[in-house]
Amino acid sequence: MNPDELRNEIGSIRIHKNVISSISSIAAMEIEGVKKIGSNLKSSLFELFDQKLYSAIKVDISKNEEVRVEIPLIVKYGYNIPDISGRVQENVRQALEKMSNLSVKEINVNVKGIERG
Amino acid sequence: MKFFTVLGIMFYAVIIIAIGLAFIVFSLNLLLPQDINNLLIYAQNSSNSRLIIGLSGLLLILISFSFAQIILGRFQREKTIAFATSSGQVTISLSAVEDLIRRLAGVIPEVKELRPNVVANKKGIIVDMRIILRSEANIPELTSRLQDITKSKIQEILGLEEQVIIKIHVAKIAHDEKDNRRKRDLEKEDSSAIPFSGYGRA
Repeated sequence: MNPDELRNEIGSIRIHKNVISSISSIAAMEIEGVKKIGSNLKSSLFELFDQKLYSAIKVDISKNEEVRVEIPLIVKYGYNIPDISGRVQENVRQALEKMSNLSVKEINVNVKGIERG
Repeated sequence: MKFFTVLGIMFYAVIIIAIGLAFIVFSLNLLLPQDINNLLIYAQNSSNSRLIIGLSGLLLILISFSFAQIILGRFQREKTIAFATSSGQVTISLSAVEDLIRRLAGVIPEVKELRPNVVANKKGIIVDMRIILRSEANIPELTSRLQDITKSKIQEILGLEEQVIIKIHVAKIAHDEKDNRRKRDLEKEDSSAIPFSGYGRA
């Protein structure tokens, strides 16, 4: 069985990593003070071709169905970074557990920049 | 080390060794220009070999692209301030701290330009700033104010209690363009007030 595969009596349910990445992205953006999700080389390249499916959020699912998420963030100027990061972690955890039933092991936030005025 | 990184390093090592060997073979006169020419002609004539060469080129570009990303990502990852929370780890990129400090130039009107460089080590967070001031600025008062503001802003926004050392280097004192323009206007007014001032001697 795949680590991202859930089974019930009718069959199996597979949740793609992109789904977990999208949930994390939306949950992170809900927090006040978050400007946007940071980008990496791949996501920037995909954005060039209007492919917004590929997010810079990294998702790892271990064999025992534990999820590890790494979120790059750009935050707004004037907000307390540890406070925002903590709220992002909590909101992402709640959203993932509520929507996917997967157990979240780690949510790592990587603040990559401050919004420029 | 990840498997892909090892593969990338091996790949580049093999390529560089192959180039080195080719140079040695060429210098020992073991490989004649005619042989190279024949090989190239053979490759050019066959459509299959051209296709293979084209695909190999594409693969090489993709491998280089991925490898560059891994290396750049690793360098970026090293330059961070990190702390752990109950849900996981939070890392703050030092370039984000630099962005934050750069924004302070807008808060202090006497500062025309501000270029920060942030380093985090065992001593704490060390901020090295190069600033360009406007001519009317009082340097000791201003730099001390800038140090206080920067220190309190870093501690407030990052929520860290670590020592923050701020070094300021005043690189230049710029003349304000407004002052210059006013001077130029005054000079123009003066010259226009003198009658026949535009005439030169023959």
